[in-house]
Amino acid sequence: MGKLLFILFFVAAPVFAGDELHLYNWNNYIAPETVDRFEAYCKCRVVQDYYSDNEELLAKLAAGAKGYDILVPTGNALASLIRQGALLPLDRKLVPNLKNINPAYLDTAFDPGNRYSAPYAYTTTLIGYNVEKMKQLGLPTDTWAVIFDPKYLARVKGRVTVLDSQRELMAAALKYLGYSANDTDEAHWYSAEKLILRAKPYWAAFNASSYIKELTVGNIWLVHGYSNDMFQARMDARAAKRKFTIGFSLPKEGAVLALDNMVIHKYAPRPDLAHKFINFMLDGKNSSELTNMLGSGNPNLAALKYVDPEIASNPAIFPGKESKLEMLQDLDMEKRRVLNRLWIKIKIE
Amino acid sequence: MPKRLLAASGIAAYLFLYLPLVIVVAYSFNDSRLNAEWVGFTWRWYKALFEDDAMLKAAGNSLFIALTASFAATVLGTMAGYALHRYRLRLLPVLIMAPLAIPEILVGVSLLIFFVAVNLTLGLLSITLSHIAFCIGFVAIVVRSRLAGMDESLPEAARDLGASPWQAFRLVTFPLIAPGILAGALLAFTLSIDDFVITFFTAGVGASTLPLQIYSMIKIAVTPEVNAVSTLLMLLTLFLIVIASRISPDSVRGK
Amino acid sequence: MTRNIGKWLISGPPVFYLAVFFVIPTFIMVLASFRHAGEFGGLAPIFLHDVRGAHLNLTLESYREYFSDFIYSRLFIKTLIYALVTTFFCLVTAYPLALLIAGSEKRHRDLLVLLVILPFWSNFLIRIYAWMIILGPQSALSVGLNGFLGMFGIEPVGLLFTPFAVVLCLIYVQLPFMVLPLYANLEKHDPALLDAAQDLGANSWQRFWRITFPLSLPGVYAGIALVFIPVLGIFAVPDILGGTGGIMIGNLIKQEFLEARDWPFGSALSIILTLGALCIVGVAAMVAGRTVKNDA
Repeated sequence: MGKLLFILFFVAAPVFAGDELHLYNWNNYIAPETVDRFEAYCKCRVVQDYYSDNEELLAKLAAGAKGYDILVPTGNALASLIRQGALLPLDRKLVPNLKNINPAYLDTAFDPGNRYSAPYAYTTTLIGYNVEKMKQLGLPTDTWAVIFDPKYLARVKGRVTVLDSQRELMAAALKYLGYSANDTDEAHWYSAEKLILRAKPYWAAFNASSYIKELTVGNIWLVHGYSNDMFQARMDARAAKRKFTIGFSLPKEGAVLALDNMVIHKYAPRPDLAHKFINFMLDGKNSSELTNMLGSGNPNLAALKYVDPEIASNPAIFPGKESKLEMLQDLDMEKRRVLNRLWIKIKIE
Repeated sequence: MPKRLLAASGIAAYLFLYLPLVIVVAYSFNDSRLNAEWVGFTWRWYKALFEDDAMLKAAGNSLFIALTASFAATVLGTMAGYALHRYRLRLLPVLIMAPLAIPEILVGVSLLIFFVAVNLTLGLLSITLSHIAFCIGFVAIVVRSRLAGMDESLPEAARDLGASPWQAFRLVTFPLIAPGILAGALLAFTLSIDDFVITFFTAGVGASTLPLQIYSMIKIAVTPEVNAVSTLLMLLTLFLIVIASRISPDSVRGK
Repeated sequence: MTRNIGKWLISGPPVFYLAVFFVIPTFIMVLASFRHAGEFGGLAPIFLHDVRGAHLNLTLESYREYFSDFIYSRLFIKTLIYALVTTFFCLVTAYPLALLIAGSEKRHRDLLVLLVILPFWSNFLIRIYAWMIILGPQSALSVGLNGFLGMFGIEPVGLLFTPFAVVLCLIYVQLPFMVLPLYANLEKHDPALLDAAQDLGANSWQRFWRITFPLSLPGVYAGIALVFIPVLGIFAVPDILGGTGGIMIGNLIKQEFLEARDWPFGSALSIILTLGALCIVGVAAMVAGRTVKNDA
């Protein structure tokens, strides 16, 4: 028995063979084909871990997580990581493809001069819906009102989900009320809370990820979520030959734009591979794959010519200048506590 | 209680216990990625499972952790069980039972803070150390109950015949309680391989385990692959229970 | 003398291990609840440049936060109610089952008990996931139920993402913990007592309430403790099956550590939960002890 145990032990012991790149990314945010091609290119293995919220990423790192090479934080989380000194500066010589990026997405307030980060892709937070149902119920699809106003919600009761994210839901409510998504005036927060509490009885769940499936299956008809997820739901529904289509559009009140950036963690075991990966992903062709497969917005000018025209012409994926988009900024500890308390109040009922 | 009512409610309770599991297994053969309605029979989710690198790695991690943790917990838990049975140490039962008696989340949270405080990178090691901690008590209980059922006069007789305490233990007590130890080891193994809560808090980079993988699949992208991995896990546990019941029938009776 | 050495040699290693990996972490958690949160999360300056300096400056802030707003106590009370309802239904479901097993032929008993334990050996998350399928809007159960309600002109109801789904699943995952202690107790009852009662003219209900149930109280109390306490800390069930109002105190603790990056408050919540659970169990044990003694 003892011998058997020993043999099993060695068979089961994780094998660390060859080069590995540890990628800590949003779930569903890289095309498997791209990973395969990068693995072939660098002769290494890509090991992925996922998060579904920036807060989750920050919390894991605060808990001392080490061993990741690449992280893909959104602007506000990026700023926080930089202030913590958690990142390695980029070696520009190793990422020449950074020149492909649209200057509009470089030198943001979160990382002036792009010392640490290279833009990866962007998404917007918007409303996605079952096109046929919305028509049938006569609901508008260009306003947050459809998520927050009981007048509309009464028609889709129990068929709506909103994001399980303090910041995103608050931002949507603030936008609907006509404030900035980054408004930190507590009085405005309280009116947003009131709005949310009034709408909540009509929502089925707070959901950060499985709404893609729920939309595709037809259990849920209206969701507050990320543009790339909506895109995936649309593709899945099409592939499954569902009798309905999934649509998504930016509300006229404005919405959150999240620019996700590739950065290298301070404790990255393989900064060399990490630079290789970043440069690889900044290549026009590779970057376009992300957009074509996942429907994410693309800040890469060299990629645009490879992007499927159907996607390139979708204003919810490539928004025009008039769409009142905002990037979220990080909150300090005190504000976080206030928001946290608000959040519990929202969730407890 | 009237006999018929009793039988009816008993059968209903069994149905309640098994229906969900039957459904999980059945849907692992469903030929639909969305898994909402029954489409047709397929093996493809099992095939997908064996091509899923992340899942295989998680399974490897789980197995590694469970083997290591159950081995260490069996050694320590047997000592603890023996001490519980043999010596009157006032605080020992409290120390051994407490981790089992408080909600798991508290053990997970306190270990997380502890590992960060001592600057131990979260990963396979931290998970394994945590698993050992909560498995010791379970092994100790199983071993103690085996000791309690043992005839005390046997090791004493061995001592009277000139055996040293160590010889008496090795040649008499140990063979007698071996089935209990093995049962404890199997219990520790299954607890470790199934643990979610404590692992959730103490896991770090690249140290995903099967339950963590299942959790993220349930939360993120549910395909029948989850059902397939669940079915295989159930078969594994069933297999272990059959072994345990062969070796030591008492161990599977929940005593 | 040798006996003493043996004692320490044998109990030493497990005691040492549990001291390091259970007692010390618990103390560190208690301490953490009195500390300030780091600027970017966490506590210690090991990873962070704490602006307040490296020394430990203790505070009651986290406890003040808990008591400053009734919302936290409400969540705690809500969790207690969920746990109580779960425990009650576990008892009601488990009792007939345990009675049935204890009353069946000896050679069948082991198998019947094994059948209760088997589902418990399958992964915890898988059992939650199973309910996700069963309660989904397009499942046979939902469709059938809504068809039935529709006949009476009642609006369709959703089953998934409701408190009902959470409690049902909690009952499901905890049921074996109620059946086993009940069975262990009921199995030992002397059938002669029931025969005697029957001879004296007691009907089956009377025999149950006057004899079987009172004698089984120790098993009932053990089952209640085994079901009630773990439920208090559960977060995965409401996480997966709970809808917009499904959170329990476990979710909040998880959120403090894994989202809000407020460890001191998360620790304080954990400690309040532990103390609360201990108080309840302590009081229950006293009451139970008295009842059992009186009945004996």
